[in-house]
Amino acid sequence: MEPVVFVNVWRFLIVGILMHLWIIGDFMVSTFTLILLLLMLTSLRWRFSLSIWWVCVDVFICFLYFPYTTISYYGLALPIFELSKKGKGLFSLLLFGSLFITSESTSILFWFYLQALFFGVFSYIALKNQAAFQLEIDEQRKARNELEQVKMELLVASQTASEQAELMERYRISRELHDHLGHDLTGASLALQAYEYVQDPNEAEKVLQEVKNRLERSTKNLRETVHNMTPIIEIGVERLESIMQHFSQIEVQYHKSGNMLTVPAYIWGLLESCLKEALTNVARHSNATKVEIDLQVTKSIVRLSIQDNGTEKKNSQTGSGLRSLQMRSRSIGGSLSITSRESGYLLVCVIPLEKGRDG
Amino acid sequence: MRILSTVKFTALRMIRNYIVLILLLVVPIILITFFSFILSGYVTDVGIPYINENAMTMVVVFQLFGGSIVMYLIHHDLFAENKMRMYVIPFNQTMYAFSIMLCGAIYSIFLGILLMVYSQFVLSVIWENWIWMTYIISLVAILSIIVCLIFMLSVKNYKIAERLSELYGVGFVVLAGLFFPMPNHAIFEFLGSYGNPVTLAMGAIRDMSISNTSSAWFQANILLVVIIFLFIVMLMVGRRKMG
Amino acid sequence: MTIFTFALKRSFSNKTNLLFLTLFPIACIFFPKGEEWPFLPYGYQYFGIIILFIGIRLATIILEDRAKGLVKRLAVAPISHFQYLSQNLLAYSIILIVQCVLVVYGGVLFGQELYQPGWLLLLYISFSFSSLAMALAWISIYRNKDVSFLMYMAIIFIVVMLGGIIIPVEIFPDLLKRLAVIFPTYWLGQGINWVAFGEEILDFLLINGVLWLYTVVFMIIGSIRKIQ
Repeated sequence: MEPVVFVNVWRFLIVGILMHLWIIGDFMVSTFTLILLLLMLTSLRWRFSLSIWWVCVDVFICFLYFPYTTISYYGLALPIFELSKKGKGLFSLLLFGSLFITSESTSILFWFYLQALFFGVFSYIALKNQAAFQLEIDEQRKARNELEQVKMELLVASQTASEQAELMERYRISRELHDHLGHDLTGASLALQAYEYVQDPNEAEKVLQEVKNRLERSTKNLRETVHNMTPIIEIGVERLESIMQHFSQIEVQYHKSGNMLTVPAYIWGLLESCLKEALTNVARHSNATKVEIDLQVTKSIVRLSIQDNGTEKKNSQTGSGLRSLQMRSRSIGGSLSITSRESGYLLVCVIPLEKGRDG
Repeated sequence: MRILSTVKFTALRMIRNYIVLILLLVVPIILITFFSFILSGYVTDVGIPYINENAMTMVVVFQLFGGSIVMYLIHHDLFAENKMRMYVIPFNQTMYAFSIMLCGAIYSIFLGILLMVYSQFVLSVIWENWIWMTYIISLVAILSIIVCLIFMLSVKNYKIAERLSELYGVGFVVLAGLFFPMPNHAIFEFLGSYGNPVTLAMGAIRDMSISNTSSAWFQANILLVVIIFLFIVMLMVGRRKMG
Repeated sequence: MTIFTFALKRSFSNKTNLLFLTLFPIACIFFPKGEEWPFLPYGYQYFGIIILFIGIRLATIILEDRAKGLVKRLAVAPISHFQYLSQNLLAYSIILIVQCVLVVYGGVLFGQELYQPGWLLLLYISFSFSSLAMALAWISIYRNKDVSFLMYMAIIFIVVMLGGIIIPVEIFPDLLKRLAVIFPTYWLGQGINWVAFGEEILDFLLINGVLWLYTVVFMIIGSIRKIQ
């Protein structure tokens, strides 16, 4: 419920009080128009946000009825309220001056005005606070939205970066092969062709020796290049398997199928995070005794499923780690789902393999 | 037995329909209270407080409108939205319709009795003969339910049937001369006395209260005969429509 | 003025509406005259009730628009809510004015004793506007046409009773007499009394002024745009 609802209810309540006073009082029938006029202004204020100067109309109407009915003095509570609601409570004190010219019981009227002033000030503060909170909430929302945006961009950027890195690496490998093996192999092949036409046996012997040298050198070079290029840290499926081997708390069953080489590096990164997160969760929150891990690679998708046999269901909400993984998998077109069933928790991560992109 | 198990839900549906409650209970309570303010102190020619007469009128008049809920439920269940569902259930649809009628009649009588209790204990209206009063209002309630059903069964458009039932209620109130005196004409004379359930019911109650038993039974029996006749009409019309 | 002509046509398309809009007002002309009270023939005393019913019948057309989502479509059409509402209300008020003219001058032709038919017509027209505005404010609360109509019917019963249309205000106890002033129907009753006996034109203007004030108040409340 917003404060403005209470403000409106209060306004109409005051009109109700005026009607009550009119009914129990002994006034001319024509003075009922005063209440209708005030009701009209009140409903105008309910429908539209009127400028503060409209209180002059209220005051003027009440002033006109001063000689005819004492209800007009009570009616001044409305402008007092409106003034203090707009933070102009001091001006409304001027209207308290009417206490000196009325024939009505001054003390009751004074308290009536005072409560109007009080509730007006209260609504002023409440409305101001609400506006401030609203602004704050809007800013927070905007900031959060920007953050999400940045996150999505970063995910996309990391994917392109890994693709870029793969391309660079290929280029490096091809240059390395070209530089170190290419010359010698080409030389050897040329020398072999020349060998067929060489008549002199000594000369032929020399050429053959040259070919042998070159092949030997290129074999050595090849071995060195391959050795240099093989990463020391494990990557891909080996990395996953090593994580499983190092996870010693619970028994792990592992199956894999399909050609692991078609899976690009950035997907391995995600799968690795999934596996780590899932195993950590199993170890930390579940009472499971066994985890089954199944990795399948087909022509179009990679599917990693992790199933435990835990039965506890206390933490059914998705944690922040899994949520961010869901986000990451969605950003590369895949999906990650967590289901808890009778037989335990099941985490399934499916990611499509893109075709023809790196062909 | 299957029908019996639906009675509970029929009753619940009736009670939950707050519009009917407002129209048949809250409005008459407000009106009776209002009249008791205005008429307090006035007495009729025979010395009974005027408010008694007025409360009796209210109780009888609002029975005329008690048929609308039955009409609505039967239409809804057997001819409109729930029709197919009702016809696949292995029970007797006619008996179901009768059970709704019975519930509606009891509900309507119950509301009438509530009004009587309210006027007796809050406004200190004295009801002479509770049993006779209950009997008469049940006759009026059953009559208006049957009339409403005849309207619903014989008119194709349900909206028009609804309007007709309202017209039946308001029309007989007007014809009874409760709003203003009707012109002196043989037809109006008849419709303002023996041709009008409102005046018949009120006459029966009035006569019983002054111990004019034979006249009271005579008027009540006219109502009963009309009910039986209209019930047969309703069966015939209903057979055509449901068959 | 497309909406205006369309609203006129629509008001007459419904059979029940047609009944309310033509038959009931005409029937009013032929009602007999009371003995002591009311001072005008019954039909003219009770015409106020019929005006209230006509008001809600007409206003529920707007409610129907809202329920059907027509207001939503209008919100994206190049037409303002003000245009939609004002043209509809204009059409309805023309219907009401025509009825008032029919009833008053029909009665004059038929030979009913109406004292001052011109002023009576003015009174009925003022009351028609209040009734329309009241109905408009009433339907702004509801979503369902039938429910709003039935509830308004209950309200009409009470307002008419307490306002002194069916029972003269003079026999009310004092408190109820004061309470009656709140209802627009009280002012209609007073206006009818003035038509029968009144002399001071200022009183009559006050009565009409109050009815117009009611119209403005309810119009402000009812003009709120609700998109379900």
